[in-house]
Amino acid sequence: METRTFDNVASLAYFAPELGLIAAVLLLVVWDLASPARLKIAGLVVISLAALAWSGGMGAYFLAKDAGPHELFHGLLAFDRFSNLFRVIFAFVTGAIVLFSVPPRGPGVAPELRRDQGEFFTLILVLSLGMNLMAASRHLLLIYLSLELVSVMSFVLAGFKINDARSSEGALKYVIFGGVASGIMLYGMSWIFGITASMHLGECAARIAALTAQQGKVPEVVFVGTACMLAGFGYKISAAPFHMWTPDVYEGAPTPVTAFLSVGPKAAGFAVLVRFFSDALGAGSASPAVATPWPVLAGCLAMATMTIGNLSALGQENVKRMLAYSSIAHAGYMLLGFSVFSDAGVAAIAFYIVTYCFMNLGAFMVVMAVAEQSGGDETLSAFRGLGRRAPLVAAAMVVFLVSLTGLPPTAGFVGKFYLFSALLTAGGAWRWVLAIVGVVNSVISLFYYARVLRAMYLEKGERTEPVAVRPLLGATTCALAVPTLLLGVYWGPVYDFVASSLSMLR
Amino acid sequence: MLMAYASVAAFFLVAIGFLLGSLLFGRLLRPNNMYAGKVETYECGEAPVGPAWFNFNPRFYIIALVYIIFDVEIAFIYPVAAVFKRWVDQGSGLFALIEIFLFVAILMLGFVYVWAKGDLDWIRAIKGDPRGAQDVSSRSRAPAGQAAVADGGAES
Repeated sequence: METRTFDNVASLAYFAPELGLIAAVLLLVVWDLASPARLKIAGLVVISLAALAWSGGMGAYFLAKDAGPHELFHGLLAFDRFSNLFRVIFAFVTGAIVLFSVPPRGPGVAPELRRDQGEFFTLILVLSLGMNLMAASRHLLLIYLSLELVSVMSFVLAGFKINDARSSEGALKYVIFGGVASGIMLYGMSWIFGITASMHLGECAARIAALTAQQGKVPEVVFVGTACMLAGFGYKISAAPFHMWTPDVYEGAPTPVTAFLSVGPKAAGFAVLVRFFSDALGAGSASPAVATPWPVLAGCLAMATMTIGNLSALGQENVKRMLAYSSIAHAGYMLLGFSVFSDAGVAAIAFYIVTYCFMNLGAFMVVMAVAEQSGGDETLSAFRGLGRRAPLVAAAMVVFLVSLTGLPPTAGFVGKFYLFSALLTAGGAWRWVLAIVGVVNSVISLFYYARVLRAMYLEKGERTEPVAVRPLLGATTCALAVPTLLLGVYWGPVYDFVASSLSMLR
Repeated sequence: MLMAYASVAAFFLVAIGFLLGSLLFGRLLRPNNMYAGKVETYECGEAPVGPAWFNFNPRFYIIALVYIIFDVEIAFIYPVAAVFKRWVDQGSGLFALIEIFLFVAILMLGFVYVWAKGDLDWIRAIKGDPRGAQDVSSRSRAPAGQAAVADGGAES
């Protein structure tokens, strides 16, 4: 099907998932004001889930119908299989987070989210909208705007605990780092705009390709611009050296928000990163005519990110903070796939994101379930003896941690397998170095994940009575553990589906 | 080619010349009478008291944020109003009208929200604070039995 560019009105039909989210956001505000107190939470959850089902369902429908690729809103947004795939992923992640954030009922448990519930769900949905736009934007201006939409919502959510010094500190650091990263990214965009005289990625690509062919190398201006823009992207995916905000924000933020930040915006960051490089820089094409600096640049970022994340995670006592560092390390693994700049690499990243959603959301959910029952204690000591106190949740945690380490028979192993195989298929000494660093890092990560396992099964805690995990949390945890295991033994259809959904508008 | 930038250069020269000229004339004309009071911080004629580093009431910022609702509204409606007649002639008048009403409705929803949440009351009782009962505001909305939130400012 030929690519068509739609004007504002004709685009609306293809923009329906986002329109649904916007309508739900407005509806949530009205419901928050007008609903009876008894039905408030139920209504908020139902509206949010309905909107997400609409958004994800429409994305899946577009994928099934093989609609597109088109350009929406005079070329601001791309409508292609890639953006639709991410619509589905984001809808799923946000839906899990919505379930995750349902506050515990009854007295005795100190709710983590004490501010207005309505505001919380509204912000979550707006964040989801921003992520959808990030994955679809094909214009420098819209990349910036959607990135900021996600960032600003994340700042507010990170500081959502009232009178909690750590939460406020994390939010403030997040704002400051975010401001600096956005500033550097805008500066980089100004370089790109300066040399291409266009903000539309397609036109940028044509101009950059012409300049590259003319000079026989990638122009320095493009390199500087791209390097600066990596600050903004790297900040979103928490890649080194823009990862500094991650531990404090993840530790301070309410656990559902932490889980969301570690999966959603990170996946969105990868989507926009992949799209920018393959669309504007043409880095995804089979074999570029001239040597480009991108593989080395991305490889260095990947190695630094993995190593810093894993080494810092080693000594952490707080499980939430440990998982924060581990999420930095996982960004590094995904950057490995990115540094290949091939279709196989992008497919590996996308599949890894899918598996990472399950295992990371699940791990955070267990942390929340445990912390709720131990008076907000998120350290290793709260996990001692969990194997006896809550066998099902502990077993689920084992699945998640083994998967995060990347051992068979779990989804994490398959994800990592595809990443490394994409890397080694591309070949070359530099790729082998990257692969070896990646494998060594996986081994390091086993140590800190195993510490949690040891605390759960081999150590005795002070308390021995069974833990009463909320049914909703327990059910969702198990629901996430099943695909984590299943994708480890039977991943074919999902991988094929993801790999076939990566065609991008160019 | 380079002469194309002559106007820019002239602009710079005039700007710098104007600045230097005014400073020079001021120097020549004014009486020279310095005393300590002249170098103090200017506080609209008041004598400055105390340090400037103290906590501001966060309510100022909330009012400023609410103001943006109306600010954005005007900023976007005005250009539409300017070309609306042409749109009507082109036959897209009704569409634009509906669009603008939708836009205003969304912004108004935000306004209703802050109003209903009490953010337009300048003086708000602090939730759970016993002093809240004798707060100066008659419209203080302190529900009884609310979990103690020590600092009302942080919650808004």
